[in-house]
Amino acid sequence: MNRGALKHEVAVMSDFTLPDVAQQLFRDIQKTYQETSQIPDELLIALKFVFGPCALPALDLVDQRSVTCLSSPSGRKAFQVMGGSGRLYTCFVSCHYCPCPAFAYTVLRRNEGLLCKHILAAYLCQATGVSQQESVSDQQMSALLSGTAAP
Amino acid sequence: MVMTDILAHVFRTFMSQSEQRKELDVPPPLPPLPPEAGCSTVLLVGERSTSRSLLLLAAVTAASQMGMRVMFFTQTQIQSLPVSLQKCVPSLSPESLKKIQFSYPRTVEELLQQVASLHESPNTSPIPPSLIIVDRLESFLCAPAGDSYSGFHSGEQSSAAHLSALLCDTAAFLTQVLQQRASSSAPCRVIASFQPERDTGKDSGGPSATDPILDVLDRYFKIRCTLDRDRSYEAAAAGLQEIWNIYLSGTGIRDTSSTKHCDDRPGVAQEWQLFIFPDGLMEFKLV
Repeated sequence: MNRGALKHEVAVMSDFTLPDVAQQLFRDIQKTYQETSQIPDELLIALKFVFGPCALPALDLVDQRSVTCLSSPSGRKAFQVMGGSGRLYTCFVSCHYCPCPAFAYTVLRRNEGLLCKHILAAYLCQATGVSQQESVSDQQMSALLSGTAAP
Repeated sequence: MVMTDILAHVFRTFMSQSEQRKELDVPPPLPPLPPEAGCSTVLLVGERSTSRSLLLLAAVTAASQMGMRVMFFTQTQIQSLPVSLQKCVPSLSPESLKKIQFSYPRTVEELLQQVASLHESPNTSPIPPSLIIVDRLESFLCAPAGDSYSGFHSGEQSSAAHLSALLCDTAAFLTQVLQQRASSSAPCRVIASFQPERDTGKDSGGPSATDPILDVLDRYFKIRCTLDRDRSYEAAAAGLQEIWNIYLSGTGIRDTSSTKHCDDRPGVAQEWQLFIFPDGLMEFKLV
């Protein structure tokens, strides 16, 4: 598949469900990581091919343990990802949204990518099981989800 | 059926009498939804007063006929139930109206805070809402005319994505809670209305496919229900106040048509007509 074909496939995925190829890739990463505790080169290449330029920065975020899975007593969960600048981004568990500028520009405005590096990092942490866990109060969770919490 | 169940139920309940006779049994009781149905999100796109009437009708129908708890977010105070609605639902009891909670956030930030707090225990006990309605998304999302410049809507797009994603994520969470409590009201649904900027002008065609906010909303809402006014001579000649064509589209329609659960229930109708009579009475007809 050439770049043009990939771009077309990305463009039609506008309902934010991940394409089958991406879901399969995460399953493969999960299986391999459970067995060997590493992601082999061929899967890294596939990751770069499917997610383009945000794949490597997302892997860096995973290496730096930047992803935290937050949960509150109500059972509500969310991901919090620390960006390169130290800013915290709250991402939802059931659909794709990130308050970062790349998501607003690349995904929403230009429709050129499936997701940003922060959401991809959250997916990779789920697949590899390396995210930090943190409990917050229900009120703190509400503030984080609505974007009104102090970063 | 799964994705549009409440609106479809509304349309069938308020079908014109002649149409109902054609259907023989009217209106069919809503079948229980399969637990794996997931949350349903519908975006109502069209003129605001008709959308609002439909949203109120959906809220009242869900509360009175389906026993659902409804959260209704709007900027416009609702002093009393519109007369037209009282005519449509003559058997409305005050008890069932208590199931609808109206909330009046003034800004998108307030709306985000209120939706985000729906998981907190005061809002989920004894039972969480299973229908979340947002009236006029554009009143929260779009800056007043003159504030936006050169068609650049990045901030508004991001805000639209945040609000849509929060609504979807909240509905998904409340669906889990409803299922854990074995509630027959699961899944939790979302219905929101939006009037694209271009539609507010006098010469409105259909909703613009290139409206930047609508582009973003379409990513998150699985079904779009488009209201398009029929301005033909026949509509005027029939002595009706208004006729609206209702089109259902989106990925949710395709999803449901391919599931095995559709075998025993009527398929999703893609097109309806809404008749609004001079006295405000509303009737629906399957096209």
